[in-house]
Amino acid sequence: MAGASVKVAVRVRPFNSREIGKESKCIIQMSGNTTTILNPKQPKENKSFNFDFSYWSHTTPEDINYASQMQVYKDIGEEMLLHAFEGYNVCIFAYGQTGAGKSYTMMGRQEKDQQGIIPLLCEDLFTKINDSNNDNSMSYSVEVSYMEIYCERVRDLLNPKNKGNLRVREHPLMGPYVEDLSKLAVTSYNDIQDLMDSGNKARTVAATNMNETSSRSHAVFNIIFTQKKHDMETENTSEKVLTKGVGGGDGVFEGANINKSLTTLGKVISALAELNKKKKKVESFIPYRDSVLTWLLRENLGGNSRTAMVAALSPADINYDETLSTLRYADRAKQIRCNAVINEDPNNRLVRELKEEVARLKDLLYAQGLGDIIESECHRGKHNSHSQKMHIYRLTQETEKIIAELNETWEEKLRRTEAIRMEREALLAEMGVAMREDGGTVGVFSPKKTPHLVNLNEDPLMSECLLYYIKDGITKVGRENAKTRQDIVLSGHFIKDEHCTFSSTTGPQGEGCVILEPCEGAETYVNGKRVTSPIVLRSGNRIIMGKSHVFRFNDPEQARLERERTPCAETPVEPVDWAFAQRELLEKQGIDMKQEMEQRLQELEDQYRKEREEASNLLEQQRLVRENFIQTSPLINSPVPWTKRETELALWAFRKWRFYQFTSLRDLLWGNAIFLKEANAISVELKKKVT
Amino acid sequence: MASLSSDEWRAICDKFTNAQNLTEVESRNDPENDPFRSKYKARELLREIYCSLKSFEVSEGEEDGGGESGDPRPSEQPVDGQREDGFGQGFSGDSPAGLRAAKLGAVEYYLGVNHVDTEELSAGQEHLMNCMKLLGRCSVSSENVSLFIHVRNQLGILWAGRDETETAQGFLETAESIYQHYMKEDGSPPTDMTEYFTTEEKLLTHQERTKRFELAYTHTMYYLAQVYKNLGQTERAATYCHSTLQRQLQLNQFNPMEWALNAATLSQYYITKGRYMEGRHCLSAATVISGLAGEVPSEAAAQESETENERREQLRQKRAEIARCWIKYCLNLLQDAKKLLEDNIGELDTDRQDELKRARRGEEEEEEKGRKSALLFGSEDTFDSIASLEEKVRCLFPLDFTEARAVFLVGQNYVTQAKEYFQMDGYVTDHIEILQDHSALFRALAFFEEDLERRCKMHKRRVDMLEPICTDLNAQYYLMIRRQLMFELAETYSEMMDLKLTLANRQADTQSLDSHTIKKFNHLCSASAKYFQMFLDSLCSPEGKVPEHLEEEVLRPALVARFRVARLHSRLISSSPSVQLDNLNRSLENYKYVVQYCETHPEAATTVETELELSKEMVGLLPLKINRLKARMAANN
Repeated sequence: MAGASVKVAVRVRPFNSREIGKESKCIIQMSGNTTTILNPKQPKENKSFNFDFSYWSHTTPEDINYASQMQVYKDIGEEMLLHAFEGYNVCIFAYGQTGAGKSYTMMGRQEKDQQGIIPLLCEDLFTKINDSNNDNSMSYSVEVSYMEIYCERVRDLLNPKNKGNLRVREHPLMGPYVEDLSKLAVTSYNDIQDLMDSGNKARTVAATNMNETSSRSHAVFNIIFTQKKHDMETENTSEKVLTKGVGGGDGVFEGANINKSLTTLGKVISALAELNKKKKKVESFIPYRDSVLTWLLRENLGGNSRTAMVAALSPADINYDETLSTLRYADRAKQIRCNAVINEDPNNRLVRELKEEVARLKDLLYAQGLGDIIESECHRGKHNSHSQKMHIYRLTQETEKIIAELNETWEEKLRRTEAIRMEREALLAEMGVAMREDGGTVGVFSPKKTPHLVNLNEDPLMSECLLYYIKDGITKVGRENAKTRQDIVLSGHFIKDEHCTFSSTTGPQGEGCVILEPCEGAETYVNGKRVTSPIVLRSGNRIIMGKSHVFRFNDPEQARLERERTPCAETPVEPVDWAFAQRELLEKQGIDMKQEMEQRLQELEDQYRKEREEASNLLEQQRLVRENFIQTSPLINSPVPWTKRETELALWAFRKWRFYQFTSLRDLLWGNAIFLKEANAISVELKKKVT
Repeated sequence: MASLSSDEWRAICDKFTNAQNLTEVESRNDPENDPFRSKYKARELLREIYCSLKSFEVSEGEEDGGGESGDPRPSEQPVDGQREDGFGQGFSGDSPAGLRAAKLGAVEYYLGVNHVDTEELSAGQEHLMNCMKLLGRCSVSSENVSLFIHVRNQLGILWAGRDETETAQGFLETAESIYQHYMKEDGSPPTDMTEYFTTEEKLLTHQERTKRFELAYTHTMYYLAQVYKNLGQTERAATYCHSTLQRQLQLNQFNPMEWALNAATLSQYYITKGRYMEGRHCLSAATVISGLAGEVPSEAAAQESETENERREQLRQKRAEIARCWIKYCLNLLQDAKKLLEDNIGELDTDRQDELKRARRGEEEEEEKGRKSALLFGSEDTFDSIASLEEKVRCLFPLDFTEARAVFLVGQNYVTQAKEYFQMDGYVTDHIEILQDHSALFRALAFFEEDLERRCKMHKRRVDMLEPICTDLNAQYYLMIRRQLMFELAETYSEMMDLKLTLANRQADTQSLDSHTIKKFNHLCSASAKYFQMFLDSLCSPEGKVPEHLEEEVLRPALVARFRVARLHSRLISSSPSVQLDNLNRSLENYKYVVQYCETHPEAATTVETELELSKEMVGLLPLKINRLKARMAANN
C-alpha cells in the first residue's frame, strides 16, 4: 500500500451575508461523489469532478442530502485516527479561498454538533488512550506544536520567546523539522484546546500589529502521538493537522493565462524543463525551491503517510474562478503520489547469463543422467556471513540538541510546557490582555461585570479572542515604549505612543460610565466616526484605533440593565463583527473620500425617492404588496407607518445597500434602479389583480 | 495642438501624470475591501483627457469616424495575424492627423489596460480595439511604433486569459514583426507613449526611449514564449525564453542571481534535449552572471546582522544550486555517451567507438560555432569570462576514458561545491541527491575504464558513500530515499560480484576458484541479495505483511528485485549440499512469486516481459536441479 494517493473531499457551504447581499446564485451541484460547477457566463459549460467524498453543506440539516460536521468526521477523521494508531504519519489539511469554510470544517464552532474535525479527533484520541491505559504493555504520550507560515516565514505560535523566523531543516534521524519549534506536552483534550486557543491569540496579536490579513497565512497544528510498547522499540507517529490550505495557489500552471511580469520567467522556464524531464525520464535538476508549506507536506505524501484533504468551496457565482481553481487543485491532489522513482540499471547481462543457464538446464533435462554439469559453477568454499559496520554521525550541535530533547523525561516535558505557558500568559497580561479568575488568559470567557474591549478580526478564528479590561479609574492605551506605562499595549504604524485613555466611574446605583478620550493626533473611531474629544461609550460600540485594531466595547452591567428596561428588545439583525465595523467606517469615512460618488448617489437617491413615492402611493392599501416592495426596494422614511421591526430591517438593508454602492460599480446602481422598476411593475400588476 | 491653449494642454498633461501615479503607485495602497479605488480614479481622469482631446478635434472641424468610447462596433474589428502591420499605408505617423490618432489611441490603450486591471475584460477589449482602429489608419513611425507594440502585448494577454491562445498568438506575432520591420527600416529611438502627454521640457532622453521600447519588446518575447508553451510547442517556447534572457542581459535589465538561476534552469531543458552546447553556454553564463551578485558575506558578518545572514544564505544556496545544474550536465553527457557506445550487454563496443571517433574529426566543432552565434549571452565585459568557462568542459560526447575522466572531474568538482552548502545536517534530501549524482558519475566513468580492478574500485567508492547513509537514515521519514539507495546498493554489489568473477576467471587458468575469491564472491553476492531483500521488506505494511497489490511506481522494481534475489541465491557458492539446497529453494520461491503475481495481476506481465519469461522457465527447471541435489544427498547419506 506504499505511495497510496491522497483522500480528497470537497465541501460546499451556505451563502454568506455578502453573497446573499449580491443575490448570488448557487453554481455547485453534487450527486453522489461527483461535484459539478456551472459557469455563470456560459451556462452550458459545466465541469464535473469525482472525489472520494462530495459534501453538500449548502443547505440546513433538514435537507436529507445535508452533510453534517459529524458525517465529515466519521468519513475522514475516524479513518485517519485509525491509521495513526497503526503507525502511519497522518495529515489532514484544508484548502480553499478565504472564507470558503476551511476553519469551520477543521475547527468548527463550540456549540453542540458544530465541532470540526480537529476537536472531534482529539477527543477520540484521548478516549482511545484512556481506554487502553489498563494495558500495561503500552504507554502513550501526546505533544503538540502550532506554527504559522506567512510569506515563507515560520512563526512559533506557542512559545512567546521564539520570536522571528524559524528555519525549516532536515535531520537524518529526526526527519524534516522546524528548528526550535516548541513541542508542548499535553494530557487531555482541554490542554490541546487551551494551547490552540493561546496560539490563535498569538496569531491574532501578530496579525493585527502588522496589519496583515490572514488570507495568505497558513496555520499548521501538529499533534505528535507516541505509542510505546514496553517490551519493544518505540513507535513514533506524528499527526499533522493543517487548518489552512494553500491560499491563492501559484497560478502558473493554471490554464492558458499569460504571466505579465518578467519576474515569473523562472517559473515558465522551470515548467518547460519539468515537462521534458517527465517525458524523457532524464535526470535534471530544477532549482526551484518548494514553498515551506509544500516542503512540510512533502513527508506526508510519502509511503508512510496517510493524507486527507478537504477542499472548501464557496457556492456563489461571484466566486466562480476561485472555486474552479480550487476544484482543479483538488482534482490534481488525487493524483499526488510519491515520485521517488527507482532508477534501475539495465540488467541485460544478467538476462543473458540466465538464458544460458536455462539452456543448460534444458539440455540437462533432455539428457538426464549425463555428468554433473550443474556443479561446474560450485566449488569448495565457505559461506561466510559478514558483520555490518555501524556508522555514527559526528554529533553536531543540532544533533545534540535533538538528543537532549529525546532524553527529556515526560515529567520534564510537562514542567517545560507549564513554564512556557506561564511566560506566554505573562506576556499577554503585560499587553493588557485580560485573565480568567484562575489567572489564565486562554479559553473563551466573558466577564460578568467589568467593562471590557474584545477584538474583532476579519478571520472568525481570530475574532473575539483577545479581551482587555477597562478597570475602575484610568486605563491607558498606547505603545510599549511610551514614556509612561500603558495598560493596554498595542503596536503598528498608526498607534501613537499614548493613543487614548478610558476612564471608568461607577454611579450611585452601580451604573458604570466609561469615557473614551483620544490623545492628540491619534486616530480613533467610534462607530465609524473619528473622535477628537471625550465620548461616553455604550455597550456594543465599535472602536477602531489606528488602522487595524478593531474592538467592540462591552459593558455587561449596562447591557443587563438595558435588557431589564426593554426586555423584548431584540439584538440587531446583523452580528456586530469585524465586517460590520469596517463597513460602518467605510460608510462614515468613505463619504469624504468619495464625494463625487456621494453626489451621484444623492442624485440616484432622489430619483429613487421620487419613483418610490409614486410606487408607494400605489402600494398604500395593499399590505401584501407593500411587503413585496420592502424586500426589493429598501428605503427609509416611508409614508406608510412601519412597525419598529420593519424600520430596523429597512435601515439595515439600506446600510448594506449603500455600502455595496461604494465598493461595486455604478452599473450596479443602475441594476438597483431596475429592481425598483420591477417592484413598481409588480405592484401595478398586483393591484390590477386585486381590484 | 494649435487650438488648445498651453494652459489647457498643461492641464491635460497634469491629469495624465496624475492618472499614471494613481495606477502605478497609489493603487498599491488600496484597501482590500476597495481594491480598485485608485484605478477607478485614474479611469475618470483618462476619460476627461479623452473628452478634451475629442472636443478639440471637433473644434478643429475634422470629421472623425471612430474612436468614441461606448460605441460598440463588433462588426469590423481588425484582427491581427492578417498582416495589417501598418507599413506604408494611411497617414504617416508624424503627420498632424497621425499624431492626433496616436494620442487618442494612447488614451484608449490606457483605458483598456485600466479596465482589464479592474477585471472588466470586455470593456477593456473594446478600448484596446479602439486603439487598434485608430492606429490602423496610420503607418508605423518612430512616433507611434511603441504604441503599436504595447497594444498588441495587452491584447495577447487578454486573449490568452480566455483560452483563445491562437488569437493571442496572432497579436503577439504581429507585434514581433512590427518591431523587426521598424528596426530594419528606421531604428531611431521611438517616442514613448507617456511623452504624448508631457510638456516639452520633460521629454525623454534617447537612451531612456530606447530602454522603454526594448523592454516592451522583451515582454513580447516573453509572452510569445508562454503562448508557445501553452500550444505545446516546447522548443519554440524555449527559444523565446532564451531570447528573453538574452535581451535582459543586453539591455542591462536584470537581477544577477535571478537571471543566473533562470539560465541554469534553461540549461536543464537543453540537457534533457541532448543539446549540450546550448546547455553549457547557459551554465557558463549562469556562473559568470551569478558572480555579479557580489561576494558572499562572511560568517562573522552574518552573525552580526540578520540581513547579511539572509544575503549569505541566499547567495550560497543559489550558487550551490547552479553547481547542481552543472553536475547534471556532466552526468547526462557521460550517460548519453555511454548509451551511444555500449553493446547489448552494457559493455564498450570498440567498433562503434572507432567509428564515432573517425566521424568526429573537426566537423562538429565547426558546426557548433555556426549554431552558437545565434544564442550567445553576454555583454562586452562578461563575454570573455563566459567563453573561458565554457572551455573548461567539452560539450561533445566523450568517446574514451581520458575524455570521460575530464568530464567526470569537472562534475566531481561541482559535487564538492554543492555539498558545501547542502550538508547532511539540515539538508538531508538535497545532500543525498547530490551523493546519488556523485555515485552515478562514478558508474558512468566505470563504463569507460578498461582495467577491471580499477573499475571495481570505482564501484566500491559508490558503496562507501551510499551504504552508511542507507543504514543510518530514519526509516520512516526517508522511506523513499532509502528505497532508492537500497536498490542502487544491491545493483552495485551485484556489479562488483560480476567483475570479481570475470577477473578471477581471467587470472586462473584452471576452472576452480581459490577460497579467497570464493569468499569474496559470496560476500558480494549476499550483500546484493540483502539490499534487494531490504527493498522488498520496505514495501511491507508496518506489521510486516507482504502487499497483495503493488503500486504502479514500485511494480517493476519490486518484481525485478524478486527476480534478482532468485538469481543471486542460485549463484551463491557452497560446498555443503544442505546449504546449496536452501539457496536453491529460496531461489525457486522468488521465481515462483514473480510468476504467481503476474498470474493474479495480468496487467503486471507487460512491465516485466523478459523477467517473467525467464522466471517461468526457471520455475519449471529448478525443481529438476533440486531433485538431483536431493538425490545426491540421499545417496551420500
